[in-house]
Amino acid sequence: MKYHLITLGCQMNLSDSERVSAVLEQMGYERTEKEEDATLLGMLACSVRQKPIDKVYNKIAQWNKWKNKRNVITFISGCVLPADKEKFLKLFDLIFPMSELSQLPDMIRNYGVVNAASLQTPKPVMPKNEHIVDLWHIKPKYESTYEAFVPIQNGCDKFCAFCAVPYTRGREVSRPSEEIIKEIQHLVQQGYKSITLLGQNVNSYGLDKNGEEITFAELLKQIGQYGKLSGEEFWVYFTSPHPQDMTRDVIEVIAEYKCLAKQIHLPMQSGDEKVLIKMNRRHSMEKYRRIVSDIRELIPEATLFTDIIVGFTAEGEEEFQNTVAAMNEFKFNMAYIAMYSPRPGAASYRWQDEVSQDVKKDRYHRLSETMRTHTSEYNRQLVGKTFRLLVNGSDRKTGFSTGLTEGKLNVRLDRKAPELKGQIVDVKITSAADFSLSGELVLQEEKIES
Amino acid sequence: MSTEVMQAIRIDETFYKVKEIRRLTDETFSLKLPGGRFKFKAGQHISLGIQGDYQSREYSIYSGENDENLEVLVKEVKEGYFSPKLSHLKKGDLVEVNGPFGKFKIEEKHIPDNKFVFIASGTGIAPFRSMVRTYPELDYQLIHGVRYGHEAYDKEEYDPERHILCTTGDKEGQVHGRLTKYLKRTSFEKNTHFYLCGNSNMIFDALEILKNKGFDRDHIHCEVYF
Repeated sequence: MKYHLITLGCQMNLSDSERVSAVLEQMGYERTEKEEDATLLGMLACSVRQKPIDKVYNKIAQWNKWKNKRNVITFISGCVLPADKEKFLKLFDLIFPMSELSQLPDMIRNYGVVNAASLQTPKPVMPKNEHIVDLWHIKPKYESTYEAFVPIQNGCDKFCAFCAVPYTRGREVSRPSEEIIKEIQHLVQQGYKSITLLGQNVNSYGLDKNGEEITFAELLKQIGQYGKLSGEEFWVYFTSPHPQDMTRDVIEVIAEYKCLAKQIHLPMQSGDEKVLIKMNRRHSMEKYRRIVSDIRELIPEATLFTDIIVGFTAEGEEEFQNTVAAMNEFKFNMAYIAMYSPRPGAASYRWQDEVSQDVKKDRYHRLSETMRTHTSEYNRQLVGKTFRLLVNGSDRKTGFSTGLTEGKLNVRLDRKAPELKGQIVDVKITSAADFSLSGELVLQEEKIES
Repeated sequence: MSTEVMQAIRIDETFYKVKEIRRLTDETFSLKLPGGRFKFKAGQHISLGIQGDYQSREYSIYSGENDENLEVLVKEVKEGYFSPKLSHLKKGDLVEVNGPFGKFKIEEKHIPDNKFVFIASGTGIAPFRSMVRTYPELDYQLIHGVRYGHEAYDKEEYDPERHILCTTGDKEGQVHGRLTKYLKRTSFEKNTHFYLCGNSNMIFDALEILKNKGFDRDHIHCEVYF
């Protein structure tokens, strides 16, 4: 019995797919990358963007054609809007929310048996998230042996105008902290070097439990204390936080503990107050500025990443210039810049998309250029310095090993060293480009001599 | 339907039966649902869905925390998708309520020593009615901007001394013109917390005026209506 699984969308879906694989392999299924060989064909979808949804329709059309020739069962889960779910019901054999993953074996075994009662139940519009804890009890089949995602929270209560996640993943639910700590301890004991805490709003962690769960800062502190006791070298990241819930104590804890990576991804989305209001981001530029100021004060070495949308409804040239000014002010090490596109299910989908594609493209290039000047300047002052580097791959052209610093800066090594993949090594930066660095491996003997 | 099947039907606890549609104007109504089991803080919002439909919308809660009914204030957009469907609901129809959501709330510790200015456009008055009904001791002023006087929803519930109606389409309000006109010419005490709710243009304009008057952004709370 073989299964083929396609995962679309963000890191949360990737993390979920590790648990889907674990469940299927426990049933005796074996994973295949050739969909033609599989009898079970599944997809973790992403309704948040249009492209992945188009891919779902293309793929299921193909799979359903195969049904005339051989027995296959198809399933779909992941981030699915209620409207898409309704359409998928007619196309896929099985459809379930991730919170019901533990029941997938029964669904597969009982496929074809009609449950009359289930047909009568009123169908909720928003995904029910209260059973998402069952998903977290499933031990994932990690894709990597040195970097892992650990979900700490699921869902979103923020309702940003441009985003449909509250309708695909339901409301915020925090995973019990003991489980999170245990999973991290297990990963560290297995030698994992990079662990990313995942959630739609990680720093809202615990708030849904009304005082019955620790806060995000306390969770980080417990992880930090474990890191200190373990004596192991590993880096813990988190994504994504929301500026609204970002507090100084979170930054203080990151500064205090070595294993908490000195890299912060803080989505800004726009540098203009008016656009932020229209986006329903629920934070001001003043608040954002204060957080960055706390980061610069308490963790001066931290790298700062962000997300920005250009061309959102109500963004004129003046508003865009405020985003450029913010880019110049905060000098991000990386900004994931997206041209706004209305997403079905989001509030802004109902508004006129009033900024033309040409203007969006122009703003995208101008803002990217502004970012480039800052990353270039930052990278150049790193030449000659030595960093710890997690080796994670190789350069396509040269085959030389590549990796990420603790601050998630890309570095290409001066040699092919596949044996170092998954290890943290010392690297001395020898040259800098706009978005990457080159460095030479510092061998242990050289370290001792120096 | 057999008893067995009937017993197997689980009405999800997020579903509520409509109690009443209370018309306030031709375009606006309050949707009443049974309260009690739904706990929230005044100022928060809910996500509302209709059984059998696959869309939902967010609405601020219009009732107080201790009221018998859970109410939301809805402006019917004639060419819209969702609000006309809501307006046609009958008593006993099922709607789905998720939430409460949001941090647009009053810190109760601020109530004794602070003044509160509520600034609303149109149905943006909803969270403020909830706050006024929940905290009778509030030292508040409600500035409500509407087009016509008859859109001063449930006006009689507010202390007339505290309720400033601004109308642009007639002269029924104390202020003839936009609420920003009133904001510009009025001075407020330093210990004031401002709460703004309504369309984004009003919020942005009011925010600018208050910032120019020197008020701290942390004391200005915003809730945008789409």
